[in-house]
Amino acid sequence: MASDSPPLDASRDPPTRSGSEWRGRLAVAGRVALAAFGGYTVAALVTALGAVTLPLSRAEAVSTAMLASFAVMAGAVVFVFAAATLRRAAFGILGTAAILAACLWLAGGFSAGVPA
Amino acid sequence: MSEAKRFRPAMAWLHTWAGLVVGWVLFAVFVTGTASYYKDDISRWMRPELRETVIDPAQSATAAAGFLAKQAPDSGGWLVMLPKPDQPLTEVYWWKSFAGPFHHALLDPVTGTPTGARDTQAGEFLYRFHFELALPPLVGRWIVGACAMVLLIALISGIVTHRRIFADFFTFRPDRSRQRAWLDAHNLFGVLALPFHLMITYTGLMTLGPMLMPWGLQAAYKDEAPHFYVEAGLMPKGRMPAGTAAEGLPLGEIVRIAGKDGGELPEALMVSSPGDAAATVSAVFEEPHGLAHLHPQIAYDAVTGAELARNLPAGPATRTATVMYGLHEAHFAPHALRVLFFLCGLLGAATVASGLVLWTVARAPKGAAPEGFGLRLVRILNVGTIAGLPAGIAAFFLANRLLPLDLAGRASWEVGLFFGAWVGVALAGALAPRRLAWPLTLGLAAATFVAIVPADLALIGEPRFVPFDIAMLLVGALLIVAARTAARPPSALARRAATRVAEA
Amino acid sequence: MSAATLLLCAALAFAGMAALALSLDRHHRVALRGPVPRGRVRPLRAVGWAGIVLSFAAAIALDGWNFGPVQATGAITAAALGVALCLTFRPGWLRPAALAALPLAAACLPFALAA
Repeated sequence: MASDSPPLDASRDPPTRSGSEWRGRLAVAGRVALAAFGGYTVAALVTALGAVTLPLSRAEAVSTAMLASFAVMAGAVVFVFAAATLRRAAFGILGTAAILAACLWLAGGFSAGVPA
Repeated sequence: MSEAKRFRPAMAWLHTWAGLVVGWVLFAVFVTGTASYYKDDISRWMRPELRETVIDPAQSATAAAGFLAKQAPDSGGWLVMLPKPDQPLTEVYWWKSFAGPFHHALLDPVTGTPTGARDTQAGEFLYRFHFELALPPLVGRWIVGACAMVLLIALISGIVTHRRIFADFFTFRPDRSRQRAWLDAHNLFGVLALPFHLMITYTGLMTLGPMLMPWGLQAAYKDEAPHFYVEAGLMPKGRMPAGTAAEGLPLGEIVRIAGKDGGELPEALMVSSPGDAAATVSAVFEEPHGLAHLHPQIAYDAVTGAELARNLPAGPATRTATVMYGLHEAHFAPHALRVLFFLCGLLGAATVASGLVLWTVARAPKGAAPEGFGLRLVRILNVGTIAGLPAGIAAFFLANRLLPLDLAGRASWEVGLFFGAWVGVALAGALAPRRLAWPLTLGLAAATFVAIVPADLALIGEPRFVPFDIAMLLVGALLIVAARTAARPPSALARRAATRVAEA
Repeated sequence: MSAATLLLCAALAFAGMAALALSLDRHHRVALRGPVPRGRVRPLRAVGWAGIVLSFAAAIALDGWNFGPVQATGAITAAALGVALCLTFRPGWLRPAALAALPLAAACLPFALAA
């Protein structure tokens, strides 16, 4: 049966018992926030990038991207909770988001007006 | 711990907490969704005044247009859903702009005046609750969408955590400890219908997709979003209003023209800018026999009846998305298959419910130690939701029979009693002594379901409603069995099951 | 997509699932007294998977690639539930029920073809 305290940051060695509890709770909260907002952001960026860059008709690209989007978010969430530390999870998610955002910007996804 | 060894416990933790946080909402979503497979039958039962009639859709369309022209002279659009013989109602929506609000009325198919059937939301209430939770649409749908996403995570983490998926596939040991029995039950319900659970979750997300994940559409179409629906083959090309008034053809005329063009009569008509010189009427036809939820549509000039456009053929990706929508709604399913979908939906609700109960059983304090606040709260919410929601549904049906027909706001009263009974039973469960909570609440729910039958037989008493009444009795019987099982002390239950196993 | 097709697929799947269940010591003990005899595990598993594959094949043959997989999945789920309940509450009935499922499937075939 799963325990209540997450075996996530087991590598850390905390100074006091209550200190470790707080740090544990904060780490969990951090993971939840990262998974929810970071995961959604990554999925949203993948969807936008796919819709703009996939070599299909515009409507088909949008549909394809939407089909994949929820699987992408699920993958991102699993990654956040499987990563060894919160820091690694954060680097992974935020780094991926940054790269995707850059690609999307290059592909013209952020500019106003209809793309060529 | 190495990465691989840490993965499973991390997923186990995620499954436990993700499942708990959204479990109560998901139970409600599963139960009302499963009921919605029969929403048309429920609606028929809840409007006993309506009988199967011969209808002329063209005449219904013209009559409805007359009502709409009087009711909402300067609308941006109308939707007229034409009646069917076993659903003799014309359902109409009208709006100023696509931002809403959307007004709604149910009309008599012959006269176009509001229907004489009793004022009730009927099966539509449970259907809408399933994805909106009786909240403002955007709020409700986002909550359900978020919970569906968490459910997907719970399914994935559950699969990873379940060590012996094949060895334990058929295993159910009610003779062992309570925790073992509940875990077995949770695993059984979850794994047996796993294809359904995964399908229904992902297709549910896709159904809410345009709202939850509009970023592809945003990025590719920017401010031309309506063009997506045309290019994808979901709608025919429309046109802007001219700004001058003109009288349109009688709507029934368009129905006849569309019937000739489409080879069958349309299901619905969508009128854009009614009363305008450039008004259009889109005839929406039934989905062809298949999984995809794609409606062929033909757009006509409202004034001349000339064909303007048809919807383009959908590409494979769009078609896949509509197949997902089709699978979720299961409109294509005939009687026997619908029973299986219903069964799988019940298994989904049972998976969620058994998970919630398992959560408290696994953390029950040993011996006479008092339970903590958190555990007590979870237990109360469990009883309140798992027993309370069925009680609410039963009260909804019972109210439909018992409330006076001329009561003002009757439909709202029915909904009020749905929530009232739910909260009432939940309160009873919270205030009752701990070992009585489940038997009491399940018993109340059972009694309410059983009470529906004499109410229906006495007040309506039509043979065509007997199957529904039998279904209510079956649900009541199931709840009675559950209540009695919950009332037995655990040791007695284990002893009985153990002797049965030994005798076999 | 008739009831006959579903019953046919469910019967085939029930027989298959029962065989798979009986190939495990834990269930064999409860249903048939004693663990699985040594040479029986593989044949039981083969029969088991054959039942499931046949269930799928029948659904697709009768109702096409669109509806077939949906039907088969539903029928197999129902059959699996049946096996689980049988094993829990009436384990002695499992083998007779699995054997009876085969003629039942055969009996459904003409109705399924006619629909």
